[in-house]
This record gives sequence, structure tokens and C-alpha cells, in this order.
Amino acid sequence: MSTSTIIRFENVTKQYDNDAAVLDNVSFEMERGKFYTLLGPSGCGKTTILRLISGLVEASHGKIYINDKLVNDVPANKRQVNTVFQDYALFPHLNVFENVAFGLRVKKLKNADIQKKVQEALRFVNLEAYENREISEMSGGQRQRVAIARAIVNEPEVLLLDEPLSALDLKLRTEMQYELRELQRRLGITFVFVTHDQEEALAMSDEIFVINKGKIQQRGVPTDIYDEPINRFVADFIGESNIIQGKMLRDFVVQFDGKEFECVDQGFNPNESVEVVIRPEDLEITTKEKGHLKVKVDSQLFRGVHYEICGYDENGNEWIVHSTKKAVVGEEIGLYFEPEAIHVMRLGETEEEFDARLEAYDDQGVENGN
Amino acid sequence: MELNNNGQERIKKAALLSIIPGLGQFYNKQPFKGVVFLAIFFVFIIQMATFGIEAMTGLFTLGVTPGQDHSLFMLIEGSLQLLILAIFLILYAINIYDAKRVATLASIGIKTNKSFIDIMKNVYQNGFSYLLALPAYAAMIFAIVFPVLVTVLTAFTNYDFYHIPPANLVDWVGFDTFKDIFFLSSYRDSFMAVLSWTVIWTFAATTLQIVIGVFTAVVLNQKFIKGRRFFGIIFLLPWAVPAFITIMSFSNMFNDSIGAINTQVIPLLNHLPFIDIDAISWKTDPFWTKIAIIMIQGWLGFPFIYVLVSGILQSIPEDLYEAAKIDGANAIQRFRTITMPAIFAIATPIFVTQYTGNFNNFSMIYLFNEGGPGSVGAGAGSTDILISWIYKLTTGTSPQYNVAAAVTIMISIIVIGISLLVFKKTKAFEMED
Repeated sequence: MSTSTIIRFENVTKQYDNDAAVLDNVSFEMERGKFYTLLGPSGCGKTTILRLISGLVEASHGKIYINDKLVNDVPANKRQVNTVFQDYALFPHLNVFENVAFGLRVKKLKNADIQKKVQEALRFVNLEAYENREISEMSGGQRQRVAIARAIVNEPEVLLLDEPLSALDLKLRTEMQYELRELQRRLGITFVFVTHDQEEALAMSDEIFVINKGKIQQRGVPTDIYDEPINRFVADFIGESNIIQGKMLRDFVVQFDGKEFECVDQGFNPNESVEVVIRPEDLEITTKEKGHLKVKVDSQLFRGVHYEICGYDENGNEWIVHSTKKAVVGEEIGLYFEPEAIHVMRLGETEEEFDARLEAYDDQGVENGN
Repeated sequence: MELNNNGQERIKKAALLSIIPGLGQFYNKQPFKGVVFLAIFFVFIIQMATFGIEAMTGLFTLGVTPGQDHSLFMLIEGSLQLLILAIFLILYAINIYDAKRVATLASIGIKTNKSFIDIMKNVYQNGFSYLLALPAYAAMIFAIVFPVLVTVLTAFTNYDFYHIPPANLVDWVGFDTFKDIFFLSSYRDSFMAVLSWTVIWTFAATTLQIVIGVFTAVVLNQKFIKGRRFFGIIFLLPWAVPAFITIMSFSNMFNDSIGAINTQVIPLLNHLPFIDIDAISWKTDPFWTKIAIIMIQGWLGFPFIYVLVSGILQSIPEDLYEAAKIDGANAIQRFRTITMPAIFAIATPIFVTQYTGNFNNFSMIYLFNEGGPGSVGAGAGSTDILISWIYKLTTGTSPQYNVAAAVTIMISIIVIGISLLVFKKTKAFEMED
């Protein structure tokens, strides 16, 4: 626990009545001033974490700390936390100004102070000229900003965002991603952002928590999560992956698809069964002779930035390739990849074991380098 | 397009010829239309000659020979004739307009329909909606406008128990009845007494039922309440039993000497410490009758509001409450800033109908104590509201139909005026979100 820690969960479990736990013995720390994303499929427990932080639900077991203070029994309005809701939760009968001013009025601030703070909050979200508009006159993106202004006007230390972009169209969503990131930098407070959109998570976060079935599967910076997924779920949920059963023959040599390949992974038992991940964009189309794998092209989709080519090798394994080069359906092509493109995953490995193994091998890598 | 002299001449001629309906159409070479308008004209003339003239003069004089002329029938027949005259005048205006329009079209060179088939086709294509609505309009004129007209006219006569046709004649008296109500001290006092009680009754009873309805709905909407469905059904019971049966039962229960309230409920309450209540004169003391009526109406009227508001509460997103909670709003603030505006945004028109409904809630007033006890003059009891007073004015041994009609007109003006005002001011009738 460092002084920069703002939120800490210790073995937190959330269970409704006697149903299975929504959140199962989760522990984590979040640092001050960073952008965190909780990523996972619907019903994985990510929103529950958010509601536990905000104080809208109580933990069944475990301890929640904010600023090193146990907050299990602190009501929502006494925590330095505010929430931007998925459907904005703006009060329909109040105009923009009054929506933002709501919390301040409840706290009975002086009118002049309210005026100043609301204007500042609206300036932060670029809505200065909209004070007197009715909510019904605002577009989806504008409502989003009002909701953010209403949350930041209370000067929280943590801002929780519950899938705030899901109701916007694609173009607006991309725009808001930049804006939210920029806003977080300017405010310098901690953002906890919930989403099921992996691209959004990768683009915006300092750190991502991948969550499934009430457990944190993996946490880390976006590139680590993308490049070194811990298991099949993470590899599959974050981007598209070719996942295939293999066997780690010895350090730096993995066998799959009936062949042996050079790789950069180590620290496994000899002949250990593993899963092998190769990202579609790491596969390169080449001639049959030059390729590591021989694949018959089954279908091809044009995705704009690349072609998505789907094919099967002689053992019946499916391979997805992202390539700017076009392939011909029905033809046999070769697939080439570098040793670095291969990522080997141990079956059933916990996060701690995974981190320990990666660390050990980093040290070793440094030694080797020396 | 510029019209030449020839064309203007033509339009003028068509319009002038239409003074006798149909001739303009013949001039426009539309003989079928001409025949129809001419036929309507002849029917009208025959109608006027056989019935209309007599009815109109009857409406004017309301009879000259007592015992022979029946003023009431003359008033009714005259009203009927007024409507027929109005319909004919509308048709007459259409006739002139049509002649002018067709002449204009023809003079700027647009082809007009000449044959019967073309005209019928045109009617089918452009006038189909009017054709469909026509029977409804006709029915409305005779089923709604006609009785209203007779009522309005009655207010300007001296139709009361001194002037019962056919023995006596009824005469036009202009605004005398209204003047009496407002300025003649005996009438004015009873009218003001009835009117002020009507207003108090309307506000007290309706507000009470809305408050109870909203309160029960909000309480039962709380998730921590156990057995919500059970209470929900119980609350609907007052609505399920026909109101007049309930009122009659309550009327018996509130009986001064043998009613359950005085003989059982109050003695039971008196067993509690520090409580000592005498029997209350529910039926003989105007104050207590008023209290009883308002309470019973609150009991009878709240289930409807409860159902309505329950529905609205379900539609308020939970997010709003959570957002308010995070901002530190307490339960009362949340109710005031989220629940109340949501209820009013949707239910205001219904609340208004509740007020206007109680303004005219005859059965509650009349069935409980027949407007009694006592009298405030002009046949009105101390708990009579305008509508039950009208009933007494028209049904008693000395009816005053003209006063009843005048009060009816005033009630209508009040109810329509308030409804229009509130409906216009609320957002609930705007159709966009």
C-alpha cells in the first residue's frame, strides 16, 4: 500500500440473497490520478465494483478503503466519489444549469458560489452557452457532457463512469473517448471507467482490469494485456486471436499444428500442454513454400483498414489473418510469423503465478543479454 | 394570373345568380350541382312554409294565448328551427362560394368538372373525409348542440313554478334571472353560500384524495415494504364497490342516533386513555356533515390516484434517485425534485378532471344527506353544491327551471374555463417527449 493509493478492495465479495456471488473475493488497489478501465462482458461484475465504490450497494464481505479510510459504512454522499450514469440520469424538469447545480443546492451553498462553480464545470465540458437550455433540447452527446459536468462540479477525487458512451453513435463515441481522456488529464483525478468495448478500453486507459464471472482475470497496461494475455478468455475478449492447443517441448521451443516452432517463452515444464496465441495481424501471407503453415482460404471480408481472411490448415485448425493484401478464396496460401508473435499461455495459471513467471523471465532475459 | 374583364364579369355574374341557389352552378355549366342546390333550396322553402315560420314566431313570442299555446314546446321547436336555419345558411354560403370558385377556375382556363360522373369522382377524391365526418356532425348538432341550446335559452326566460305551460305562458326576460342570482339578496345569499361551499368542497375533497393516493403509491413503491401486492389489492377495494352503495352505507354508519360511528366507534375510542368524545351530530350539524363528506370522498377517490401514480412511479428511472443520493439529497429532497415533477408532468390533466369531477359530484352530496342539513335559502341545503342545487331547483314542488339553467351555464363556464387554462399551461398535452 503506497501513499498514492486512492481505492483499495480487500477480499470483497458481493452476493445478492443466496444467489451465486456477483463479485467473488476481489482485491485490488487503484492509484490516484490514473485512468482505470473495468472491462468485461455483461454481468461480469464490473458495474458492481463501480457501485461498491460509489456506495450505492454494500459489500457482503471484505473491506473497501478510499484514501486509506474504511468506507464500508460511509454513505454515498459522504465519499469523495461521483458517478456518470449510463443513461445520464439527468433531471428532465430542470434545465442544464439547475441539473449541474443540483448537488451544490442540496449542500446549501451560496448562490454566487453555485453560479461560479457551475459555470466552471460547464466550461470544462465545453457547454458554456447552454446554461438555460432544457434537457430535452440537448443532443445525446451534449447530455453526456451535462452529466459529466454535474459529476465534476462536486469536485470528487474519483469519477466513476458506467458505460457512459454506449448510447452514442460511433463517430461521437470516438470523439468523446479523446475528450474524456483529455478531461481526466486536466482534472488530474482518478477515473474508473466501465465498458464492454475492448477497443475503448485499450484506447483510453492507463490500466485495464479484465473481469469475468466476478473475478479479475488480469490487470495491467493496455499493451501488456493485449500482447501477453493470461488465458484464453482474456486473449479472446481483447481483440481477435488464433488460439491453438500446443506443447512446450523445452524453453524457446513450442510444438503445435504438428510442427516445432521457435518462440520467446520459457519457464514451463518440459512437454507441458499449453495454449498458443497468435494475433491475426501478426500473420503474414506468403507463398506455400515460404510459410510456416499451409492454409486453404475459406472466406474473406473487407474490413476497411484490412482484409479479414479465414482459412483452415491441413489439421483442420481455423486461422484468421488480418492483411492489407488480398487473398483468393479456395487457394492455398502460406502463413509466416516471427518467433515474437507466438504467445504461450499456461493452462489455469493464476495472476500471481503469471506475473511471477514473466518477472523471472525478464530478469533472466536481462542476464542473458549481459 | 391576371383576369381579363370578361373573366371578372363572369365571376360576378355567377355569384349574383347564386343568390337563388343553383342558378350560379347552371351558369357554370354544372347542371348536376345546380339541381342539388336548387332542390335543397326548395326543400328549405317548403320546410319554412309548413313549419319554420310558425316555429320562429313561436320562439319569438313563446305563445300569446294561455291554455292554448304551450310555451315549452314552442321554445323547443323554435330551437330546432334555429339549427335548421343555421344549417341552411351554411349550405347557402357554400353555394355562393362554389359558384364563384368554379367561375374563377373556368375564367383562368382551368378545366372544371361538368359531367355527373366527374363531379362524383371529385367528391370521392377530395371530399371523402368530409363525407365520412358528415353523419357524425349531423348527429352531434342534434344530440349535443340542440339540448345545450334549449338550456341556454331557458336561462333567459321566466320558466318557473309560476309559469308552468300550458296553463301559463313563459316569457323572455333577458338577463333578469342572472341579475336576480347576483343582486337580489335572497338569491344572492343562497347562491354565494352554495358556490363558496362548492369551491371549498372541491378543493378539500379532491386534494385529500390526491394526497392519500400519492402517499399510498409512494409508500407501497418502497422496496423494503413487505406484502406490497397484498396492500395494493386492499387499496383498490373502495374503487371496486359501486360508489353509490358505499355512500349509502356510510350514510347509515354516520347516522346520529343509530349509526355505527356514534354507537360503536366513538365509544370504543373512548376506552383509550385521555380520549373522551361525545356523540357527533354527523347528519344535523352542517360542519360535521361537511367533514364526513370530505373524508368519505377522500376514501372513495384515492384508489384511482393510487393506481395512476403507481404506474408513473414505475416509469421513473432508478438512476435519477441514485444520482440524487450521490449528491446528498435526502428522501424529502428526492421526493420533491424527482418524484413530484414526474407525477405532475404526467398526471396534471387527470388531477384537473378529478377537481372538475368533484365540482359536479352529485351522488356524494345528495346520497349522503340530500344536501342537508338545514337550508341556505332558495331550496338549497347547507351542504348542497351547485349541481345538487340545480337538481333541487328542477325537481322540487316549486321548480325554478330558469335559475337552474342559469346556474348550469355558470357551472359550464367555470369547468370549461379552468380545464382549458390548466390544460394549456401543463406540458402533459405536448406530444413530443
